[in-house]
This record gives sequence, C-alpha cells and structure tokens, in this order.
Amino acid sequence: MNLNLILQLALSGFLLGGVYSLIALGLSLIFGVMRVINFAHGEMMVWGMYVAYTILLWTGVDPFFSFLVSAIILFILGYLLQRSVVNRILDFPEAMQVLPLVGMAMVFENSARLIWGPDYISPQSKFALSSISLGPLTIDTPRLMAFSIAILITVLVLVFLKKTDMGKSIRAAADNRLGAFLVGTDVNKVYAVCFGIGTACVGSAGGLLVPIMPLSPYIGAPFTLISFIIVILGGMGSLTGAMVGGFIIGVAESIGPEVITNIFHGLGVDLEFPHTMKQVVSFFILIVILILRPQGLFGGKKR
Amino acid sequence: MRKLYLFLLLAFLILLVLPKVMSSYALGIFIMIFFYAYLGQSWNILTGYTGVISLGHSLYVGIGAYMTYLLTLTLGLPPWIGMWIGGICAGAVGLVIGFFGFRFGLKGVYFVLLTISFAEIGRLIVLHLKVFGSFQGLFITPHFSAVNFQFKDNVPYYYIALGYVVFSLIVVRLLERSKIGRYMVALREEEEAAESLGVDVFKYKMIAIFISAFMTSLAGAFYTNYLYYLHPSTMMSMAFSIEIILRPIIGGMGTVLGPVIGSFLITPLAEISRTYFAKAGYEGLHLVIYGFLLVAVVLFFPRGVISYMKKALSPLLSGEKSH
Amino acid sequence: MVKKKMNRRTFLKYSAAFGATTAVAGVPTLLRAQPPEIKIASIQPVTGVIADIGISMRRGNQMAVDDINARGGIKSMGGAKLKLLLADTEAKEEVARTEAERVIKEGAVCLVGPFLSGNAMTIATLCEQRGVPFVMDVAAADDITRKGFKYTFRVFPTTTKFADSMLFYMDKIMKEKNISKIRGVLTNTGDLFGRVQGATFKKAVTDKKFPIELVGHIEYPLGIQDLSAEVSKIKALKPDILFPVARPGDAKLMIRELYKQRVELQGIISPGSPGWYEPEFIRDMKALADYVMDNVPWYNPIGKMYKEVNAAFSKKYPGKYIDTNSGYAYLGVLVIADALERAKSTKADDIVAALQKTYFKQDLMVGLAVAFDSRGDNINADTAMIQIINQSLKVVLPEKAAEAKYIHPMPKQLWERGV
Repeated sequence: MNLNLILQLALSGFLLGGVYSLIALGLSLIFGVMRVINFAHGEMMVWGMYVAYTILLWTGVDPFFSFLVSAIILFILGYLLQRSVVNRILDFPEAMQVLPLVGMAMVFENSARLIWGPDYISPQSKFALSSISLGPLTIDTPRLMAFSIAILITVLVLVFLKKTDMGKSIRAAADNRLGAFLVGTDVNKVYAVCFGIGTACVGSAGGLLVPIMPLSPYIGAPFTLISFIIVILGGMGSLTGAMVGGFIIGVAESIGPEVITNIFHGLGVDLEFPHTMKQVVSFFILIVILILRPQGLFGGKKR
Repeated sequence: MRKLYLFLLLAFLILLVLPKVMSSYALGIFIMIFFYAYLGQSWNILTGYTGVISLGHSLYVGIGAYMTYLLTLTLGLPPWIGMWIGGICAGAVGLVIGFFGFRFGLKGVYFVLLTISFAEIGRLIVLHLKVFGSFQGLFITPHFSAVNFQFKDNVPYYYIALGYVVFSLIVVRLLERSKIGRYMVALREEEEAAESLGVDVFKYKMIAIFISAFMTSLAGAFYTNYLYYLHPSTMMSMAFSIEIILRPIIGGMGTVLGPVIGSFLITPLAEISRTYFAKAGYEGLHLVIYGFLLVAVVLFFPRGVISYMKKALSPLLSGEKSH
Repeated sequence: MVKKKMNRRTFLKYSAAFGATTAVAGVPTLLRAQPPEIKIASIQPVTGVIADIGISMRRGNQMAVDDINARGGIKSMGGAKLKLLLADTEAKEEVARTEAERVIKEGAVCLVGPFLSGNAMTIATLCEQRGVPFVMDVAAADDITRKGFKYTFRVFPTTTKFADSMLFYMDKIMKEKNISKIRGVLTNTGDLFGRVQGATFKKAVTDKKFPIELVGHIEYPLGIQDLSAEVSKIKALKPDILFPVARPGDAKLMIRELYKQRVELQGIISPGSPGWYEPEFIRDMKALADYVMDNVPWYNPIGKMYKEVNAAFSKKYPGKYIDTNSGYAYLGVLVIADALERAKSTKADDIVAALQKTYFKQDLMVGLAVAFDSRGDNINADTAMIQIINQSLKVVLPEKAAEAKYIHPMPKQLWERGV
C-alpha cells in the first residue's frame, strides 16, 4: 500500500469536498424549507461558472473575487424561478414536482449552450496553476482557496439563518408553514429568498470551481446527483450535515478505488477496482445510510 | 363505460390501419410514442398505483435488454423467449430493491434515492462487464427475420410496439379491478388506515414492484432490436429514467390511460420542437423550448392531462363514472 | 460533345473521376430531367455531451456542400446543387434513428455523419433497412463495418489502424533517439472511443512485444471534472511517457494536474484522441501545451486543398481551424459528391456502386486517395503524428508530410516553462 498516494488522494478529496459541501448546502436549504428537490441544481452551478468566466474574460477579475457576482446573479435567477415556477408546485404530489425542475434543468443547460457555445473552456486564471509542496504531498492552491472560501460562505449562511430576521423567518417557515403564515410572515417572499440563497450558494460554488475544472454546458447533471447523495448522507435539511457529508463523499470517492484495490490484493484476489467505478463507493455509502439511518448523520427529525 | 370502450376500440382500429397510409418516419414516431407509453405504464403500476416513487426504472430496461442478449448469445434463445426470463430477473432485482425500501420503511424522496443508487450501481457494473461490451457498448448484428425480433421495415415494429401498449393496458385494467389493485390504491391513499385494516402493505408493495419491474424489462428486448446498440450510459442512465416518468406524470398517474395520453402529447412535442427549432447556429434552442413546454404542461395540468380531457369529453362519454 | 468534355473535366479541381468514362449511355436522358437539387443529410450530435465536436463536424459538412455548389454543383447531373439537411442526434441512439428517418423522408439520398460510434451503429442499421447510402465521416469503432452492411462506408481510419501507425511512429522515434525501452502509463476516458482506443493500443503493444512497458492503465469516466486522484496515481507509477486518450475537457484537466503535482515526464504522446489539438487547448494552456504529441488522422499541412479549405474555414469561423473532425466531415461530403458525379443518378444502388469504386485523390488529410474495401472502410486512411511546438500545431511524422522535426524528450518539464 502506497501511503503517500492515499494521503495525497485523501487531501485533494477533502479539499474538493469543501466545495461539494457548498453545493449540497444550497440543495439542503431548499429542500429543508420547501420540501422540493431542485433538479436544476447542477445546471445552475454551471451558470455560476459561466458568469465568473465571462467576468474573467471581460475584466480580468479573478473568479476568486467574481464568484460574488455569480452568487448575486444566481440569487436573482433562483428568486425568479421560485416565484414563477416552484411556488406553484409546492402542493403538488411529490412525483409531479420532479418534472418542472427537470424541464428547467434542460432550459438552463441548453440556454448556456446557446449563450456560451459548446466548447470546453478552461480559462487561465491567476492561481489556476499554483501549488504548494508539503513534503511528499502537493496542495493545490486553487483547491485550497476554493475550499476556504466555500467554508467561509457556509458559515456565513449559517450565521445569517441564526441571527437575521429573514433567516429566522426562513427557519420558522421550514418548521411550520402555516404557523409562519399565521404570525404574519410573508411566506411567499421568505420562500423566494430562501430559494435564492440556495441557488446563490451553488452559484458561488460554480464560480469557485472555474479555476479547478473545465466548463462546458453539459457538466451539470452529475453535480445534482452528488449533492443529492451528500444531503441524504448528512441529513435532509441539516446544514451541518451537508458540510460533513461533502467531506465524506469527497474523500471516499477519492481514496475509495485505491483502498478497495488494496483490500482485494490483501485478500489475495487479483482484482482491480477501477477509478471509473468510484461513484459506486458513494452509492454504496448512500444505500447503507438509507437502510441504517435514513434521517442521515445529522438529521434529528423523523423522516 | 360502454361508450369509452367503443371509443377505445375505434382508436385501436384506426391505429391498426395507420401503417397503410403513413410514411416510415411517421411510423417511427408512433413507435416511440408506443414505446414510451408502455414504459410509462409499467412505471405507473408502481408509482401511480402505490405511490412509491421510483427514479431507477432504466435499470430494469437494462436488465431486460442485456439478459435477452445474453440468452441469445449463449443458448441461442430467440429474444421472444429470452425477454420473459429477463423479465423475471428484473422482477427479482425489483424485489431486492423493494425489500430494502419497504422493510426499512423508506418513503418519498428516500425511496427515490434508493432506486437511483441501485440503478447507478447497476449501470456502472454493466459498464465494466466484458461480455456486455464494457465501455464500447454492444453492437448488435442485424439478422433480419421475425424469429430474431429484427425487421427491415417499420411496420412490424409498429405492430409489436402497439401490442406492447395493448398488453400493458389489459394488465393494468385487470390489476385495477382485482383485489390486489384495490389494496394497492388503498395503501397509496391511506397507508396507515390500510395497514390497520389488516392489509399487508409490505406484500402488496412487493407485488407492485415485481410486476412493474417485470413489465419494464420486457421493453428492453424491443430497445435492443430496434436500435441495435446498447450502452449503459444511455439506456441505463438517470436521464433515461426521467424520460420514462415524464409521460405518465403529464398524462395522469394512477390511471389506465394517462401514460398513453401523456406519450401521445410529449413525444410529438419533442419531435416538433426538434424539427422546427433546431437550426444551424442555434443548436440547443429546441431543447430550451421543450424544457419550457414541460414546465408549462405541468403548471397548466397539475392533475395530469387526462383529468381535463375527462371533463371535456364527459358529455360524449356520459354514464362514465371514473376510470 | 458536351458529354465528352464533361468526362474529361474533373468535377472538383482536385478529384479525378475514375470509372465514369464507360457508363455514360444514360446521360442525355438524365440531363433532360435535371433534378433541381440533390439532398444529402448531415446527422451529428450537435447537442449533448459531445456537442462541441458535433458542431465542428456539422460546419465541415456544411462548408463542403457550399464549396461544391460554388464550383457548379454535380456537373454530371447538369450542375445540380447539393442541399444539406441538418439533423441532430442529441447523442442518443433513439433520436439518431428518428432523425435519420426524418431526413430520409425529406428526400436525403445519402447520409453523412456522426461522430459517435453508437449513433453511427443505429443509423447504419436503419440505412441498411431503408436502402440508403451512409458515409461515416468520423466513427472509429471497428465493429460497425464488421456487420456486413452494404450501404455503409467510412472515410475515417479504424482503431486498429490508429494503433499500427502509433507503433510505427514510436518505433521511429525510439530508433532515432536511441531509446531501448519505455516505461509508460496509458490513460483513457471510459467511453466507447476512449476505451477502444486504449485497449487497441495496449493489445498492439503486447501482441507485437513492442518495447513499451505499460506499468499502468487508468480509466476514468467521460466528462470527469476532477483528475487529481488519477494523476496522483500516475505520479506514483513514475512513467517515462504518458499515453493519454482524452477528450477536450479532461485533456486540460490532465495537463494542469500534471503541472500542479509536478509529475516528471519525458513526453506526453497520445495514441490518438481529441483534446490535444483543438484551438481552445492551446489558447487555454499556452506554453503548457508544448511538446504534446498526438497520433491522429490529420490534415495534410502541405496540401493545396487543405490550405484553401482551412483558410476559408478560419475566415468563416474565427479562431477555428480544420482539424481531424471538421476535416473528415468535409472529406465525407466530397466523397459523396464524387460518387454522385460518377453515378449520374440519385438512386441508392447507383450511389453505392459508385462509392464502392471510389478512388478519390485528395490532399486535405494525411493519407492517400480515399478507396473503400469490401467492408466499406477507407483502406488509405492514415494518421499523422502531430506535436505542439511553440504553441502551434505541427505535423512531425510521417516525414513526407512533416512541417517540423519532432522534439523528444520534452526539453522542459511543465512547471519549468514560466507560466
């Protein structure tokens, strides 16, 4: 077993997990409050990436600053989407709620294609190539920065929910929609703001990913799925859960194939667990969690 | 009721003679309408009737397609026989998923995630199996003959696909009128009440998922021999599962005719948006329009198109109570 | 007299119309009943995961049609103009089939396309069922032409051809540089093309006992967004040369990760894949793109035809140039036009007969004249070794088409290039 390799894998998985957390946080927030799964989540992240990329192209401002603009634009998009579509489907049967958001995912994906073209883009931002050596390990600077900013945003969102009036209303509406309505909260507005914050999270995550990943209109869908897994793992609606879940999935997918291969070899089985099957690790974790602890690691409430 | 049956008979007769007057291209669209109506109907048995949402039905299509192929390859069994064995395998997998889901009481979004997980693991496993062509996918060699389920012309495919739909309609109609079907609906509406009345919820959910998986997988044989290429990343993907559930949701879940109506609406919509809005320089526009149409249909017909059609047609079908 | 003159003339400046001199009896009647236009269809995956390549190929198809029409259309049929019908497979087989049916119904006499081998298989079967000729411009999986199709032809090299040429070029490099053995790691994307390309290369190396020791073979899914784990593994294996089969997205990801993790390499030589030659790769990677080699079916840089087509293409689509995909897309249409010219008919069987007799001289792509074997594969399709030198693409092998001498090993590691 190559310990350095495993450590390196764990480290980069952990750093990426921070960004996963932020993506999942948005999904979790939306689900926790509205009980709606945003199937357009990954596609909206791609919009966040393109916004940051466009700013880099036009003004040269690094994505590590312009992610704020991504967040604002995605907030507006999310707000409008909630007002126009999501708000009307809140009382639909669960299966019915899937469709409009799948439709919106197609709209986001293909309009990105129309606006920004089909090519893979990998803009050369300032920090894109720097890395720090730490003994035998390399720390990727953009990953480290994306990680730190993602954690910062997550904490800010948590503080916002705990301390501000709007945040308190959101939490109240999440607990009891009718109750919030009775005490005079404008539930529709609260919902729209909450959806906007959720999409702003994913939008800023998109901006942070620009220096790390090439972007194309069609890369969104897997992110929806992975944030799904993280949210279930951490516990639906639990924001701390989304954070921890992100780290677990990030590390598990990164070191999983290598570790399993080593276990195979240790058992005398000449089998290789290919990297192409790394998602199996996540899905396996998910199934186990679903069966043993369906409320998730941090979900207190009953399912 | 009789009027509805007469109406359906008439529609069926029209569909029977259509190949005489339609081009191969139009038949191809009808084949896709039937194919998805059948898949939607199979999904409807589980989700529409028992309320358990599955987003992993592409898994069963995959099992059906690959088992049928495998039996032809190893034992020389024609697809006509192999598909039923594939169906039983898919049903068995359905039971395993059902066991985990229902025994541990997973509902709503949790069951959705469970089905997605199994489907994705299944997809990744098939993707790594050499016998199924692994990442290359399977290139099916065409030997055009009725025994092989392979035809040169679209007309036989058309009648087979139509046969699939009629078969599914009969199955669902019989199921709906049977004791099993009534229990299924009862536990969809009021699970606790049904349970307290002594309905074995677990058992009926298991029956539903078995029938649903079994029927879904039969479509795999059709897919294989119509498109001649199998790759798990297309026909076992989550995108394909979503494709399966679109039509029954839009047509009306938990109804016999909903999936068919949904398919008659959605498949041409996709086709029309592709034909008229896919212009050079604007690639992707037709999918934007299609996406908006999906949203609009759900917003305007939240209970499925069928309930509005029923209202509109009720004078014509007077005497018809519920369907 | 008219017909004699026509037979002597070449229908395109570059093509030699072979085998057409004998069968001219039907020409006068055909001339009377001039078809106003001949429809052919471009069917490509222009939306979906591989849309970037699909678009580039649709452009190649379209430009070839426009050029042919500008030169007077199909002369043996009274200058009939070509009309290109456009179809989109959305990278799905079922859509590929419906779309192919649609263009056939709209009167396409021949189909050209698509990049994806899976889509191609469905279309090839349909064309067999309907009796419509089908020219695959790019779709490399060997299997498709092994199914005994009568109506399907392919101008692109098969994967086996890729591997053979790759070893031929590697042998040359190793001899010239006195390298006796290479430690290599092979990577490929986990889709049809990547998998086949990787496996064929590996098999060729083993079967021929070629002195490349593949110490690792890493696969990752198409559309992957994070290669850090894979590159860590590559680093641990300490290869001399990396043999990556990639796609546009992961190629960039790979280079960046290699840089960041400081993986020391003598060279990055792809056994043949996209990702390394698109304008965006060089634009985004700058000096990091240098010294990458790729064994691909490529344009012929010294060809007259190439120079003209490329100039026109770059003018029409700024920042783009003719590459493997758009080049073969262009060539595919030329081959069809040549067949139509000789067939003097739009009947499927006549076109197929003409396609079978194709001997189409061209200097657009590396490789000799296009000619099909009994399976429908282009026997003369070949690859070239290209290398990025000073951020511009050069053909380095074979020597008869070379613009520059290859550079190996890389004089500077990725992180020593001051980016």
